[in-house]
Amino acid sequence: MSVTQHDVIIIGAGVAGLTAGAVLAEKGCNVALVAKGEPTACLSTGCIDICSLDHEPLHGIGHLPEEHPYHLVARAVIREAVDRFGKITDEMGLPYVGSLETNRRILAALGTFKNTCLVPSTMAAAPQDEKDDLHIITFSGLKDFYPSYIIARRGNASFSTYEAGADTTMGLAANFERHDFLEKFILWLEKIKIPENKIAFPAVLGLESAARIAQKIESSVGKKIFEIPTIPPSMPGRRLFNVLKDYFRKKGGVIYWSWPVSGVEKAKNIVEAVITPSDGRPQSLNAKAFILASGSFVGGGLHARRDTIVENIFNLPVFVPGKRDDWFDSDYFALNHGIGKAGIIADSSFRPKEAPWENVFVCGGILAHTEVLKNGCGHGLALATGHAAAASCLEYIK
Amino acid sequence: MKYEHCIRCTICVENCPVFRVNPDFPGPKQAGPDAQRFRMEREKSVDKWVLLCSQCKRCNMACPCGVEPAEIILRAQQKYGLQHPRTLAHLLFANNYYLSALGSLTAPVANKIAAMKIGKKIFHAMGIATYIPFPKFSFKTMRGKNKRKAKAAKRVALFYGCFINFYRPDIGRKIIRLLESFNVDVVLPPQWCCGLPALGNGNLTIARYFAQKNAASLSNYIDAGYEIIYTCTSCGLCLLHDYPGILEMPQGKKIAENTRDLHEYIIGLIDDGYIEPQFGEVKRKIAYHIPCHLRALGIGYPAAKIMKMIPGLECEIFDDTCCGLNGSYGFKKTNEATAVQLGNRAVSLIKKTKAENIMADCGSCRMQLGGLSGMEALDPAEVICESLGITGEK
Ligand SMILES: Cc1cc2nc3c(=O)[nH]c(=O)nc-3n(C[C@H](O)[C@H](O)[C@H](O)COP(=O)(O)OP(=O)(O)OC[C@H]3O[C@@H](n4cnc5c(N)ncnc54)[C@H](O)[C@@H]3O)c2cc1C
Ligand code: SF4
Ligand code: SF4
Repeated sequence: MSVTQHDVIIIGAGVAGLTAGAVLAEKGCNVALVAKGEPTACLSTGCIDICSLDHEPLHGIGHLPEEHPYHLVARAVIREAVDRFGKITDEMGLPYVGSLETNRRILAALGTFKNTCLVPSTMAAAPQDEKDDLHIITFSGLKDFYPSYIIARRGNASFSTYEAGADTTMGLAANFERHDFLEKFILWLEKIKIPENKIAFPAVLGLESAARIAQKIESSVGKKIFEIPTIPPSMPGRRLFNVLKDYFRKKGGVIYWSWPVSGVEKAKNIVEAVITPSDGRPQSLNAKAFILASGSFVGGGLHARRDTIVENIFNLPVFVPGKRDDWFDSDYFALNHGIGKAGIIADSSFRPKEAPWENVFVCGGILAHTEVLKNGCGHGLALATGHAAAASCLEYIK
Repeated sequence: MKYEHCIRCTICVENCPVFRVNPDFPGPKQAGPDAQRFRMEREKSVDKWVLLCSQCKRCNMACPCGVEPAEIILRAQQKYGLQHPRTLAHLLFANNYYLSALGSLTAPVANKIAAMKIGKKIFHAMGIATYIPFPKFSFKTMRGKNKRKAKAAKRVALFYGCFINFYRPDIGRKIIRLLESFNVDVVLPPQWCCGLPALGNGNLTIARYFAQKNAASLSNYIDAGYEIIYTCTSCGLCLLHDYPGILEMPQGKKIAENTRDLHEYIIGLIDDGYIEPQFGEVKRKIAYHIPCHLRALGIGYPAAKIMKMIPGLECEIFDDTCCGLNGSYGFKKTNEATAVQLGNRAVSLIKKTKAENIMADCGSCRMQLGGLSGMEALDPAEVICESLGITGEK
């Protein structure tokens, strides 16, 4: 009787790894996920970009260069992944709105719009054009959120400041989770008599129960409200991570934190176990198959050396976009830095190309040619490829 | 130190329980890598707020870049501790071991005083919080038994830790009987406080003093073929991480390599086919509060695996909340508000699940969550013993 043998081990707790994990756990697999740290989802707006280039995400995907990994995923699978995401987030109390047919807009803290596809219900009421008049609520001392940026771009907006006894997004969100704080805040909001028809907040309306808190405020003041994402610490990003993680666990998945994979044990074309150095003796975990979802540079899946880019766990061949000089555009704010193409090239079964492994699959931000920034395809691609890689892995272990 | 690796992503900040509730603490990014760039070796330490860090290590676990802000802060705490007069509370808790030893020797009297109004007044005057009752000293500590008696194929030396020793030796004795029922010989090597409380109170000297004594003792047992087993996950983290690390014990690496968590060890026995325990039904729901330091150990949650084997038992995992007590941290008046807020949050999440018991591997988590919730808080070993019908003599 072995307690530590798993069907599948997933490396990485990002949107890709957690999605793949949930698919497998739902099918009754014994899945463990190992992670060295928390994913980029925690830094994100929490909104799911599928392909923000185009007004219609699916149409946009069709126009991506042919080497883009989206083309490895059938349309039906993309739809399935998005539907499942909707069901999961509903079930976990953080409903998302939006559809694959059209992108929508959210308001950014600079007063500009950002295109995205699926947004948490707390951002659903964001204006889609210049027409709505807005009242912005901010909190004294909160850094990096200045209503005047938005007002400078929109004539029809004004703001008020609340003294909340906290001046960070984390601290404010913790306060909103407290019943007494929320009640007092709502009283204040009712008293200031807002003339505008919509109320905007920095995204600090709670951490565990944001959807409920937003709804409560909305019904108390009788106006539409919406959140504006902040720079990290980003509460909507963290909420997204939390629901995906909790759902994976709920379906029986197991997570090993503080588990930086440093290498593998292998026999011929098969990887038998992954290893972490750990304090004390090295730990290893066996499985029939492995899914690499370790993200790109920020997540820690890819590492840039002086002249090359490497993947350290399986030592997979990495697509390197030219010489170092070609990696970066001279314009820092340009969206098409060459380095965005770096990563692992997968075949149609989501196995890494030109690698010997039969039982290794790869998905998410670590894939080559994603150009996440330029194409606006971060979480969406992670959902779709996580789903597809899990399906392929499932076929293999059966 | 790896502070240059920081990309300022603030993921650590999102994970810091203290930052969440205490506006005076700037969070792991600022207190760790950011401030580190300005901490010159020769300059005096002035950032008193480093003491607000509870050393829960959640920032280390979250960082995608391996920066380990808690490690940076821990060193800053030691420097601050060395250069500034220590408060009475800091000194007392650093020496918690001797204090507790005294408490146990005089248990009947000490417990009475601690529970009386006057006792509370004395505690407050010393800067010690009393929002949960101070644990009761046990008159009968874990003494004797440092020689092998039977001749089983497996033998372990138990590092039981101060909490079990001074407050709940009954759990310690149950653990011995549990291991013996698995045909494992158990000895109790000479041992002292692991040193973590002293480190947490900025007192590297005392921490090293304890570590040296333990390292010498445990090392002897390892040489004689024993594996070291810890039951408290904070002692475990200290032995595995701090002995070879900040405490610079020459035997640190050897100790780290030969020391294991109790439940990890039991799972090893099952995996190797050495035992095939027949778990009996335990029909109830348990909320398993994962101590921060268990999570930091990077061994997964071994006790949770065993719980899965117990028929009838429903075990829900809570690893996103810090209990807030962090050993002696929450007992200091200055940290009381933080500790209470964090503890209440953890309790309110647990209460939503309608679990009957709380379970945690660490005595201080149990004390905090049990105290704040009024629920019974168990050690995983107690649940395993219940399932196997092992009763410990009190
Ligand atoms: C700042 C920022 C903001 C973003 N905002 C948005 C947004 O608003 N909307 C959007 O759609 N997309 C956004 N993106 C893009 C999006 O976050 C990613 O493209 C996508 O989520 C990738 O997910 P992933 O699961 O592949 O990897 P990641 O999120 O990078 O996660 C990688 C995981 O692997 C783990 N890991 C890495 N190496 C190891 C190892 N050796 N051992 C064990 N574990 C390991 C990491 O700890 C982590 O848990 C943003 C990205 C960034 C950096
Ligand atoms: S160790 Fe814990 S309390 Fe200290 S900075 Fe890190 S997360 Fe915060
Ligand atoms: S220490 Fe790590 S988690 Fe914290 S800001 Fe720096 S890189 Fe991010």
